[in-house]
Amino acid sequence: MGNLREIRNRIGSVKNTRKITSAMSRIASARMVKAQQAATAARPYGARISEVVRALTGAGGEDLSHPLMTARPELRAVAVIVVTADRGLCGAFNGNVIKAAVSLIKRETAAGRQVKLITVGRKGASFLENAGYKVAFKHEGLSHEQLVPMAKAVGTEATGLFLPQEGAPAVDAVHLIFNFFKNVLVQETRVDQLLPFQPPETTGEAEAGPVFEPSRAAVLEHLLPVALESTIQQALLNSLAAELAARRTAMDAATDNASQLITELTLRYNRERQAAITKELMEIIGGAEALKG
Amino acid sequence: MARSTIILDILTPKGAKYSGVEVAGVEVPGVEGEIGVLPDHVPFITPLLPGVVRFREGGSSVRLAIGVGFLEVLGGGRVSILTEQALSGADVEVAVVQERLRSVSSALTRDSGPIDAIEHRKLENEQRWLEAQLRANSG
Repeated sequence: MGNLREIRNRIGSVKNTRKITSAMSRIASARMVKAQQAATAARPYGARISEVVRALTGAGGEDLSHPLMTARPELRAVAVIVVTADRGLCGAFNGNVIKAAVSLIKRETAAGRQVKLITVGRKGASFLENAGYKVAFKHEGLSHEQLVPMAKAVGTEATGLFLPQEGAPAVDAVHLIFNFFKNVLVQETRVDQLLPFQPPETTGEAEAGPVFEPSRAAVLEHLLPVALESTIQQALLNSLAAELAARRTAMDAATDNASQLITELTLRYNRERQAAITKELMEIIGGAEALKG
Repeated sequence: MARSTIILDILTPKGAKYSGVEVAGVEVPGVEGEIGVLPDHVPFITPLLPGVVRFREGGSSVRLAIGVGFLEVLGGGRVSILTEQALSGADVEVAVVQERLRSVSSALTRDSGPIDAIEHRKLENEQRWLEAQLRANSG
């Protein structure tokens, strides 16, 4: 009889787990709808900004140069911005980014370059610190409200490290690692180069572009930090949506597994119960037969 | 053909703050001072600093605090303001902003020794945005 009670308890606890995972999955889907709306709302702004960048860098005329766009011949140190979630239970979401980050760090270190880390999200920061890496700047509590200020802070840090201050610059390139929200089911880990800033490909034909006031160089000076922040904003928005999508998928899978486990356990429970009844019957019949004899 | 109004869009990373508003003109904080845009302006692009955007919508005047951004005058009577953030003057929480501004300003004026250049720039950015909010609210 002990075995039967054990199985019953186990079914109870798996059912509780399933309740939690299915609730988390439902919360994640509800939030994901919001995150997708936010990403859609942000698109016109991002698109216009890249449009302006293209108009500015592509419209022929004098060659524009800017410290943020100048590639350095020798790379001595690089900065890596690692975007993860604050919380776990979202499948391989954090793991993929961390894996990509660690392999990039190892590659850069092997090439004799110093690596400076900027993290967004608690998971990435705590993993990298436990692994013995030093994190230069940490951010957590990413939300849609915090998106703009956080992107601004990260952008300022990246440019601050990249531009020379009192002598040599701290880093010669900045990379950004984040989860790209490809669709609801697929998140893609991306490693992008943030700095030196690469202007978008232009079609080559110089159209009669707008006038830039006060001058193209002055607009560029102002535009690059904004374009940089816009890129970071897009990455953070993608990460937010991808996190929820990953959590939903992971929790859906967990719920399915729990249901399957419950079915198996219930089957075993019934079989054990049947076996116990049969055994009892056999004993009774055996006893009756013996008395008859 | 002369137009009497322009179509104004204000786009931010959080979505369009205003979209397709018909206005007679708009005033924006440019890098070299206040700029007014009226109908039939030539297409041009200019940077904007944190400050106040003013225009009249219907019968009432609108004051918006905006962050760093761009003014884009397009052909066909369309004007778009691209900015990292925009907040109606009426929505500014004056007490909160003033409180924050005080602490930011005092952090900035303190001996800049302990704050390194990156921290300093972050605080300056925030200070400008806070001041823009206060200006949008008063007036």
